[in-house]
Amino acid sequence: MLSVQNLSIQQQKHFLIRNLSLQVNAGEVLTLMGASGVGKSTLLSWLIGALPAAFVASGQAYLNQRPIDQLPTEQRQIGILFQDDLLFPHLNVGGNLGFALPAKIKGAERKLQIEAALAQAGLTGFYRRDPSSLSGGQRARVSVLRALLAQPQALLLDEPFARLDTELRQQFRQFVFTQIAALKIPAILVTHDHTDSPEGGCILRLEEQRYAR
Amino acid sequence: MVAALRQLSSRMLTANNSAKRTPHNSLDWMLWGVAWLGVLVILGLPLLGLIPALNDGLSANNWLLLWADSQTLPALKLTLFSAGISTIWALWLACSLVFLFYPSRAWQRLQRQLPVFLALPHAAFAIGLVLLLAPSGWLVRLIAPFFAWTAPPNWITTQDPYALSLTLALVLKETWFLLWILTSLLNQEWLLKQSLVAQSLGYGRWQMGWQILFPQLLKRLAWPLLAVFAYGLSVVDMALIIGPSTPPTLAVLAWQWFTDPDPSQQLKAQSLALLLIGLLLMGAALGYLAYLVLSKRLATPTGHRHKLRTYPVLKLALSSLLSLPVWLALFLLLLWSLAGSWFFPQIIPDDFSLNAWHRAAFEPFSTTIFIASCCVFIALPLTLLWLEWGSKQQAWLYLSLIIPALPFTAAQYQVALLLNFDGNLAAVIWSHLAWVLPYMLLTLAGAYRNFDERFVLTAKTLTYSHWQACIYIKWPMLIRPILAACAVGFAVSVAQYLPTLFIGGGRIETVTTEAVSLSAGGNRASLAVQAVLQALLPLLAFVLATSLSQWLGRNHQGLK
Repeated sequence: MLSVQNLSIQQQKHFLIRNLSLQVNAGEVLTLMGASGVGKSTLLSWLIGALPAAFVASGQAYLNQRPIDQLPTEQRQIGILFQDDLLFPHLNVGGNLGFALPAKIKGAERKLQIEAALAQAGLTGFYRRDPSSLSGGQRARVSVLRALLAQPQALLLDEPFARLDTELRQQFRQFVFTQIAALKIPAILVTHDHTDSPEGGCILRLEEQRYAR
Repeated sequence: MVAALRQLSSRMLTANNSAKRTPHNSLDWMLWGVAWLGVLVILGLPLLGLIPALNDGLSANNWLLLWADSQTLPALKLTLFSAGISTIWALWLACSLVFLFYPSRAWQRLQRQLPVFLALPHAAFAIGLVLLLAPSGWLVRLIAPFFAWTAPPNWITTQDPYALSLTLALVLKETWFLLWILTSLLNQEWLLKQSLVAQSLGYGRWQMGWQILFPQLLKRLAWPLLAVFAYGLSVVDMALIIGPSTPPTLAVLAWQWFTDPDPSQQLKAQSLALLLIGLLLMGAALGYLAYLVLSKRLATPTGHRHKLRTYPVLKLALSSLLSLPVWLALFLLLLWSLAGSWFFPQIIPDDFSLNAWHRAAFEPFSTTIFIASCCVFIALPLTLLWLEWGSKQQAWLYLSLIIPALPFTAAQYQVALLLNFDGNLAAVIWSHLAWVLPYMLLTLAGAYRNFDERFVLTAKTLTYSHWQACIYIKWPMLIRPILAACAVGFAVSVAQYLPTLFIGGGRIETVTTEAVSLSAGGNRASLAVQAVLQALLPLLAFVLATSLSQWLGRNHQGLK
């Protein structure tokens, strides 16, 4: 379970987010919507501990009852997907996934797990491929696999479907939600398109803060 | 069930519970410390050394001595002329090239030659120009048959008393330097868009360039222009090879006085070094004034559109006059190094031989490689650490590129003397680093700034630390700019003349010091060999860097 309590984020004297509390249970996807600039992506960057220095935040975040808001990014166990796939160009597909796989999985088992992940994403035989030789949809799927192979306790999705065309979008969305449900982790999705939200999922609309201190 | 709750309460936040987590753990602090220590030792110490130099240089007695010397005033005129004119001309030429050619195919051709011209050290280039332009040089040989000359005419072309040939050499070299800077600016999309808009309003490329782009480029060229001017003010190796001798330019004069055992000469040298800094400040102020005047003039456009022309003559003249001399200089160096005997007025050597190569001293060559490699091996980790963990306020790191080399090297020498650390290889490497490090920082900073930090963030969300994210993701992804920076650092070290002699106490010989000292003698073949070696090293470094980055990128098309 991922929960946020009394979060406020301000930039100089302007409040971007004020006293926001939310809770996402395991296996569920919370959809965050709202106009550009209301702080959706800022909220995500605060959650992973990468809030730009121009912002000041207060509030707490808990992941499975563990306070995480003071931890460095690498200890939060939260994965993130951006609009761009951000596959590491100097590594091949297998290398990208191997980078994510925890070190406790050793030897031949590593390759097996990576191959298995590729297979269930319909990417059998892509282990040695260079990321630049993949199609947009394939790259997107590899980036999801990469985020999930690190065994995160929560997943944040920052408009990951925005760059894909309608048909691909539908397939990819389904793929992502299936993965999240299978792993039983909480997820937060930021989007401009309400059809991106999974069926029966909760939608939270952020509104612009007009109160200046 | 997802429970989402949003309260819009007007409760005020207290500022103290809104602390952002500190990004530093002990490893980060250590890396930060290493970066600062290295930078301070390399750049901070000489800057400290400038303080006593300023103190000595300001003494009124020294200034009187300086003023009383009959060489000072003519040398001052020569320096102002060669440095000032070469800066202005290099700016005009570089901008003209851009406005005339960008982004045509001819521009691509110029771009392809750029690395060679940049890598060519100043000293080797000057020697090549002497072989081309001297009264017994290749150009005179070309026309000799028409006048039936059997001996070189009694002209003064190179080392002329007006420093014209020195100015020409500086113009050619600095134009390419500015063009390189402009190239990186031109990759920015806004420039192209603005020129499109201006052209759609009915302005030709040439007029649009000078009226719309020039003022904007000028702002961004301020520091490079200052560096060019500072270089012209304090260049010693080129001035010794192709510049006037009695009197020489201020920098050469100061260098002669610094090495004079007579202490009163050294006092004058101190003040002269200070004078160079004064001239730089004066030049900067004048340049700024000119910029203000120009902006004011361009602020109220007349709307007058020049007739659209294609400037075929100007195009041909500029593109050939700027590149041909460099290629000819390189060609002549190679030819002379292979010449057995080559008497006037033959256009090609009478016979070819490898004698000069057999006789050549190769210790300077290996010493140069050693020094330059050490410089790169030290500067590269420091550069990366600094860019990642150092301060973002880094303008002062580039001071050594702006301060004329002579006072800066003199300050380095003061520090080295004080620490009893001169006349050995380590000291020379330390002195070179003051230029190698800033140049490597400069070359890498752009790519570093443009790096998409979300890659690092992604690595961190995959549970890697900041340090690991750099080692495994960021630096490997930046391998191409890193290799390019290494080549630049290597080339910068190879080209150093003044610090090698000064800090090395004359005991450390590199291809550069060797080439300059041979240029005073009569053996052109031996001179050409050292000059070829000097030109070869940076070229090899660039070729190596390029092929290595192509080889590394062969399976990774996405690597930039």
